[in-house]
Amino acid sequence: MAHVVEGAAVKAAAPTLPQVRSWQRRDRLIGLLFLVPAVVYIVVFYVYPILYNILMSFERYTAKSFVTGEAPFIGLGNFRRLVSNPDFTTAVWNTVLFTLGSLFFQFTIGLAIAVFFQRKFPLSGFLRALMLMPWLAPVLVSGAVWVRLFDMDYGTINFVIRSLDVTSQHIAWLTDPHLALISVLIANIWIGIPFNMVILYGGLQDIPGTLYDAAAIDGAGPWEQFSYISWPLLRPVATVVLLLGLVYTVKVFDVIMSITRGGPANVSQTLNTWAYSLSFSILDFGLGAAAGDILMVVVFVFGLLYLRYAYREIREVGQ
Amino acid sequence: MKKQVFILVAILVAGAMTLSACGPTATPTTAPPATSAPATAAPATSAPATSAPTSAVAAATEVSEWDYQSADPQMTQWQKVLDECTAATGIKIDRQAIPRDELISKVLLAATQNQLPDVLRIDNPDLQQVADTGALAPLTDYGVDLTGLYANLIQAGSYKGKVYGIAPGINGMALIYNKDVFAAANLQPPTTWAEVESDAAALTKNGVYGIAFSAPATEEGSWQFEPWFWGAGADLSKLDSPQAVQALQFWVDLVNKGYASKSVVQWSQGDVNDQFMAGKAAMQQNGVWNLSALEAKKINFGVVPIPKPNGGAAPGPMGGEVLTIPNSKDPARMQAAGKIVNCLLSDKEMLEWATLQAYIPSRQSVAAQSVANDPNMKSFVDAAAAELSRTGPPANLGPNYNKVSQPLWNAIQAALTGKSSAQAALTAAQQQAASALTP
Amino acid sequence: MTATVATQARGQARKRAKSWLWTLLALVIIGLMLFPFYEIVNISFMHETDILQYPPPFFPPHPTLDGYRQALSTAVGYIQSSLIYALGTVVITLLVATPAAYALARVRAARIGSLLLFVLILAQMAPGIVVAISLYAMFSHLHLLNSYLAVILADSTIAVPFAIIVMRAFMIGIPQELADAAVVDGAGHWRIFWSIILPLSRTALITASLFSFLFGWGDFLFALILNSNPHHTPITVGIYRFIGGFSVEWPSVMATAVIAAIPATILLTVAQRYIAAGITVGALKE
Repeated sequence: MAHVVEGAAVKAAAPTLPQVRSWQRRDRLIGLLFLVPAVVYIVVFYVYPILYNILMSFERYTAKSFVTGEAPFIGLGNFRRLVSNPDFTTAVWNTVLFTLGSLFFQFTIGLAIAVFFQRKFPLSGFLRALMLMPWLAPVLVSGAVWVRLFDMDYGTINFVIRSLDVTSQHIAWLTDPHLALISVLIANIWIGIPFNMVILYGGLQDIPGTLYDAAAIDGAGPWEQFSYISWPLLRPVATVVLLLGLVYTVKVFDVIMSITRGGPANVSQTLNTWAYSLSFSILDFGLGAAAGDILMVVVFVFGLLYLRYAYREIREVGQ
Repeated sequence: MKKQVFILVAILVAGAMTLSACGPTATPTTAPPATSAPATAAPATSAPATSAPTSAVAAATEVSEWDYQSADPQMTQWQKVLDECTAATGIKIDRQAIPRDELISKVLLAATQNQLPDVLRIDNPDLQQVADTGALAPLTDYGVDLTGLYANLIQAGSYKGKVYGIAPGINGMALIYNKDVFAAANLQPPTTWAEVESDAAALTKNGVYGIAFSAPATEEGSWQFEPWFWGAGADLSKLDSPQAVQALQFWVDLVNKGYASKSVVQWSQGDVNDQFMAGKAAMQQNGVWNLSALEAKKINFGVVPIPKPNGGAAPGPMGGEVLTIPNSKDPARMQAAGKIVNCLLSDKEMLEWATLQAYIPSRQSVAAQSVANDPNMKSFVDAAAAELSRTGPPANLGPNYNKVSQPLWNAIQAALTGKSSAQAALTAAQQQAASALTP
Repeated sequence: MTATVATQARGQARKRAKSWLWTLLALVIIGLMLFPFYEIVNISFMHETDILQYPPPFFPPHPTLDGYRQALSTAVGYIQSSLIYALGTVVITLLVATPAAYALARVRAARIGSLLLFVLILAQMAPGIVVAISLYAMFSHLHLLNSYLAVILADSTIAVPFAIIVMRAFMIGIPQELADAAVVDGAGHWRIFWSIILPLSRTALITASLFSFLFGWGDFLFALILNSNPHHTPITVGIYRFIGGFSVEWPSVMATAVIAAIPATILLTVAQRYIAAGITVGALKE
């Protein structure tokens, strides 16, 4: 390596400055060409739907609009209808709780399991693959199983709780207004753990084992190794996992719909599911689009803040 | 660097704007067809919806049909009826069975591109809303024969004086009770609200609930509640009347006293029937369509009408899927659709479908026949003529039914789970419905 | 001499025993995590009447193959379509996302990079139904409706932003010295991408492929709306065969889910093997 670098250093001294600059520019252009398929893809498949969604949120877009194409402009009418609805605050508050709760537990549990699997033991590869199984069943099916597990009278969870003598009460996981959100939160955490685990595991795997060996020689225990080696080097991947987790959790739909349908009485609705129910039950899609706008702004703001903070860190660590 | 960012943003925006040119702009279906008309279409100057096509049009030999009987046994049963009509009319039917919750989405999207099927079967409370969009054609324009059908059915299928949808079979609910359990407790089936409650109280023991009904956050919740609601004398135009509160309070009492499971707010009617068949409930409020499953399981059951507070049968909502003929640019296909609909409404097919599905035939003469075939149908058939359409009188909500139904089912859930009192929940619901109804 | 060998052997045995202890712990964790999946298998072998028993049966009281008999009549076709959608999504996603991830990670155009990254995050915010409406119109004009391709393209819209973001995060971790050495040797971006970054990004590629596969596998909305061809029905839609408006045949539903999970599990197990340790270690040792 050193030999090659020496020889190359001699070669590199040869070209003139203008030549180097033009090479750099061409090089950057080729680099940017790598982005072309993605840019085209993004414009076609994302920018257009997003703009369309924004447009729809300012219109009265009903079933008739689908047939005749008429969608009268009503300014902030949809937003006003959303915000003045008594369930709006519940939906917003639920979205915050649901998102924070999901992200926190999915990440920590996923990370713990990923670290656990760092160790090599018999069947570890196979068992690791099994961790992705929750994603193999259609959400409709896993949702139905969770409904069964949570059932007040015949559910497995209550059965176990009663057998362990924790309480003799039948806990109304899905029908108690105070518990319904927690139940869908648990189910959502369950679905999110494999996602976090697999990506964080990959991130951990990419950290060179020699670093750990060197630290062990210096007398560092498992906790120190984690704090000073794993965690800092995991930052780019961890950032990404949390950011994506934010987006996906805010968009969660199937999980809630297949378990509580946002009920009872809208107590487990998030902004996304609530807007969808409102939209589809009265076939007023402008409302749903307006809620989508609000969600986009929220993710925009949080994403911006987080990226600004994390970007600095990524540059430092990457370089 | 800045220049590159600017160029990139410009590309993105320009790209998006050019794409908006091929957006979902719907072409109105009532306008004259485009100039590139297929060989069998009528002359381009006539609008298909308003005039009967001339006899110069060649007949179509195939129509497309959409419905939501996507699961067996209904899927195979409906297919059988369709096949019989193909044999009878010589018109092939290209059928698509779509999961129930997604049918409306598909219909709306198809409407934007003029790709609606020739025969569309939708749930009857949705008919008014779909007809309001202008997507459907009046059935009588395409030769559909409406004689002998239940008057309330024709009314339910009418919009602005014209009939847009008719069902070959309708359904309704009643109280289905377990004869063995009642006999063991020496009880008679209930005929008043007080008896419903006392019977349920007596039969709630050993992990069995006295009564089971369905109150989920969907149209099923409103549907199940409506017999009690109307029975008490309430009206959909005023959700917080004292009669409405009385009805809701009755349900709340059943749940609070433990005679009905708290899980009713989760259950669909299918779940309720499962509970009844598993012996977890002594009585259930459910629809006539369950008769075949109950008879197959050899359960010793009886049927009584849902009572009014002080006796007599409560008027229930009319159920059933209606056949409609969407407007299309091809009058020949619409004519063929009319023939198919007529065949499906014929006595023979009507009886066959109603028997397979355990529905009530829509023609009174045929309905009498089905009672002769299965005496368990009697309560249901008797109630059929008195059934109220959810979109019809007395409230006459028409296309706005959903705007009232949704607050109603939310109120039911709020009261049953203890989130609010029955009065408070219904008052909030009425406020929400009223504001949704103001344009 | 023999004493040290014996101690070594005993040490090895102890280590092996300790390894199996970890396996046991792993089994407990996996067991808890997968209990819902166990329930799916459990119910698939039950009679409908046994499902509502209390206490909830942990094993089918009267095991039966009825659910499977019903499911098998249609499952194979559904699995085939699901596989086509899932694998198609992987292909399209990798084609579009990998070069983009490289560009965002390695090309020194920092500001465009963050802007695009940002658009990518936002891109995923569009509600599914709105994307479906736009895609429906677009594919209708292009006469692509009712084809496998339409749904594959639509499914990839879920996978591409994710793939770009995740692969970029992994690629950033590859030491700059490797690329610099290649530049000095006269390599352009293409060579660096193809010969250096791609081989070192195995973890990233496999992870992105895994999730692209799962996104395509689990999609319901796009498959339902964009493709009405009854021979192209995937499991997520096909399962409605047993979910009626009036009743649900749970054993058949569960059996379909179990049958469908088998080929997918095999693929996932094989793929996971490639997320191996020390890829970068090998490269740096040179």
